[in-house]
Amino acid sequence: MNGLSLFASWLSACVANWLFSRIDKPWVPYVVPLVFGITVLILWEQAVYKFEIPTVILPPPSLIAASFAGNLSTLWGDFTQTILKGALSGYIIGCGAAFLTALLVDRSDYLRRGLLPLGNFMAALPIVGTAPILVMWFGFGWQSKAAVVVLMVYFPMLVNTVAGLSETSAMQRDLMRTYAATWGQSLWSLRLPAALPFIFNGLKISSTLALIGAIVAEFFGSPTQGLGFRISTSIGQLDLGMVWSAILVSALSGTAFYGLVALAERRMTFWHASFRGGR
Amino acid sequence: MTRFIPPVLGMVLALIALWYVAVVPMNVKEVLTAAERAGVAVSPPSAVERRDMGNWALVVRNTHALGDSWSSDRPKLPAPHQVLVELYDSTIDEEVNGRRGIVKSGTLSNRSLVYHAIVTLNATFLGFVIGTVLGVGLAVGIVHSRVMDMSVMPWAIVSQTIPIVALAPMIIVVLYSIGVQGLIPKAVISAYLSFFPVVVGMVKGLRSPDAMQMDLMRTYNAPTSAVLWKLRLPASVPYLFASLKIAIAASLVGAIVGELPVQKGGLGARMLAGSYYGQTAQIWAALFVAAGLAAVLVWATGWMERRTLRKMGAKP
Amino acid sequence: MKQTWIAAVAALGMASPALAADEIKLQLKWVTQAQFAGYYVALENGYYEEADLDVTIMPGGPDIAPTQVIAGGGADVIVEWMPAALSARENGLPLVNIAQPYKSSGMMLTCWKDAGIEGPEDLDNRTLGVWFFGNEFPFLAWMSHLDIGTDGKAEGSVEVLKQGFNVDPLLQRQADCISTMTYNEYGQVLDAGVDPSELITFKYEDQGVAMLEDGLYVLEENLEDPAYVDKMARFVAASMQGWKWAEENPDDAAMIVLDYDETGAQTEAHQIRMMGEVAKLTAGSNGALDPADYQRTVDTLLAGGSDPVITKQPEGAWTHVVSDAALK
Repeated sequence: MNGLSLFASWLSACVANWLFSRIDKPWVPYVVPLVFGITVLILWEQAVYKFEIPTVILPPPSLIAASFAGNLSTLWGDFTQTILKGALSGYIIGCGAAFLTALLVDRSDYLRRGLLPLGNFMAALPIVGTAPILVMWFGFGWQSKAAVVVLMVYFPMLVNTVAGLSETSAMQRDLMRTYAATWGQSLWSLRLPAALPFIFNGLKISSTLALIGAIVAEFFGSPTQGLGFRISTSIGQLDLGMVWSAILVSALSGTAFYGLVALAERRMTFWHASFRGGR
Repeated sequence: MTRFIPPVLGMVLALIALWYVAVVPMNVKEVLTAAERAGVAVSPPSAVERRDMGNWALVVRNTHALGDSWSSDRPKLPAPHQVLVELYDSTIDEEVNGRRGIVKSGTLSNRSLVYHAIVTLNATFLGFVIGTVLGVGLAVGIVHSRVMDMSVMPWAIVSQTIPIVALAPMIIVVLYSIGVQGLIPKAVISAYLSFFPVVVGMVKGLRSPDAMQMDLMRTYNAPTSAVLWKLRLPASVPYLFASLKIAIAASLVGAIVGELPVQKGGLGARMLAGSYYGQTAQIWAALFVAAGLAAVLVWATGWMERRTLRKMGAKP
Repeated sequence: MKQTWIAAVAALGMASPALAADEIKLQLKWVTQAQFAGYYVALENGYYEEADLDVTIMPGGPDIAPTQVIAGGGADVIVEWMPAALSARENGLPLVNIAQPYKSSGMMLTCWKDAGIEGPEDLDNRTLGVWFFGNEFPFLAWMSHLDIGTDGKAEGSVEVLKQGFNVDPLLQRQADCISTMTYNEYGQVLDAGVDPSELITFKYEDQGVAMLEDGLYVLEENLEDPAYVDKMARFVAASMQGWKWAEENPDDAAMIVLDYDETGAQTEAHQIRMMGEVAKLTAGSNGALDPADYQRTVDTLLAGGSDPVITKQPEGAWTHVVSDAALK
């Protein structure tokens, strides 16, 4: 393997992608990033051998894949601990609480003007500082991880939902009033649907934050399971294949989580301009 | 602006009141253990029994022994005034009266939050610049090349699902191995976090000129570079600033994350030290300084935004 | 390539007066504190300079693995615990112990007495806090020695928590026992107002599962070069001079450490006490590794139950070449 072949594989992938991108078929947007990703992996693999990078600094993708396949049950346990117990429960609690607060804020202008600037300040508290505090408060189990996630997702979700709820125009609201609709009715049939794009935006941002929050919290104390625990412990044992496998699990679940929310968004806000063609 | 002040003040006061109340149940177990050591009768008398009891139940049964709740040395939750005292001690007091403070030694004390905030800011700015340049560059590429649009964008999203705290020590070790130390590793981590909002915002901004404007450029037979410089870039400025506000806050978080494993000063090192020695007031003080910095940075970006847009002829 | 170049420079240096001091980058295992006083003293008092060395001390931090740093070439010599170094060696990173300034282990398990713990056998079916990141090996070896599993709270097994960076899990009784070092965390527990009589501690040293801590490790391939060995010998000699000075002047050594602490987090009282405790651990060592201590560490590791840290007797994991030259 030499520099020339490194360059050659890069070039051929470029040409392939350039050709692909000329074609106007529905599968193209999936194939092009895939080719790009595979090229990166091949280049990475070749570079590791070419420049004799020590495995403990950067393991080749083949080693990571082998490590991933060989430790499926361990990684599944970590996935359950971090993603299902920590991130997901925190996500549901955090987004739910933010949504309810948004309804409250919506009814009281005083709350809105007081809470939102404060919310921006709280959202700026760096998680690496708050995580050790929350671990101290809620113990080493998944509860403290969920608490970190709640704190992380609460404000983005709140801000987006509040913005969404004020999205309707005065004319639309007046129409509801002429129908003598109650606050609840107008919320349900006019303002909530109008707020959906914003709510989904909040949910999407929160989905990646939730994952990161759950993993970060594990660095400050955890049971002997979980993705954050695995990453940190495996670096200590110089088992870099395992480290990258755990990172892979988190990236895969993060992408899948984001994808699921985005899919739900498409289903529920098909009427919105951003999904009706255009650029 | 003024209409925001009363409600915000009201909220802050409510929060502080809530905080003072919360301090009691949060610290009750430690306070009772200390009281027990000092010879006060507490119920139940054994710490093992207390461990499994609810905090509020303990508060109700031991109202006579809770006087130290707001002044304990190692609180789970420090009272607001404890944090304020710590903030004062580790900024003004340390610099003015401390042995290493700027008044006595001529340089900022490495025990003061002022010094650490500056360390963090250096990394934040460098990372912010790298991230912005990278982000704008990528966005220009994405807008002009369909291949790049399709291949880079999905992976930029994936890159943000990787927990940076896990990656940070490895980034630092890899940079060590090529002889890079000091500011750069931290800046790289903060650039990693800040480039993404810039890419997303700039792609949107560079595509914001409408068809009529693009057609006009075409009738002038303008080359791509002229379209970029004269139409796309000016049109993207509002979008750029909107993302810069997010990016600078992200840069700050990145710098703090990078300081955690390096331990050569900075607010991140300070937070870890607070956690390491159980000095929660120290963590809270560093946290508030960090959040304050973020607020100032975002505000400064907003100020530049208003000035720039006004110069460009936008209506206020 | 790089090595021949260094060798050539070194050869020139022997012929003519040295043009520049030899550079050495030392990666510590943890943050700047009296645990590493000897190196800071040697730097501050100019022992390294006298030995014609230009030493850079790099403090560690959470999740910075010294073994990983040296593998990538970011450091020339590292401070590491022997179990982690041997485990790295078995994983293909040929680390060699060149000196052992710490004679005995400072690690222990600190428990609440009122939780009903009197002897090691009472640890069964409890929640214990343990450090990971390479420091879990002595604990795991001890548990397997006691025939206690680590799969959760149950009869014949313990629940293990990965404890963070402080003693809160013990103070808040989230765990019945936590790992402490004699020179650091134990003092923090006492500082929190706990009386020593409320606690019961198990020193790994007393339990027969102690492992060598804080040795100096380099990459094996470099030791083939006599110039490199000479450089390291000078480094070890100067470092040991620093250690012995620190043992005799604990208060001053603590102040030197404080001056090098860029985070400004360490306090005088804490560092002076730490230095006093550290001096007890380094006292018995002149820098040379005692093969008997090494063998005990290896035997304990090999006996590590179903999931041993190392699976076979390591070969060439230590050498006296450097320390012999240093002690001449």
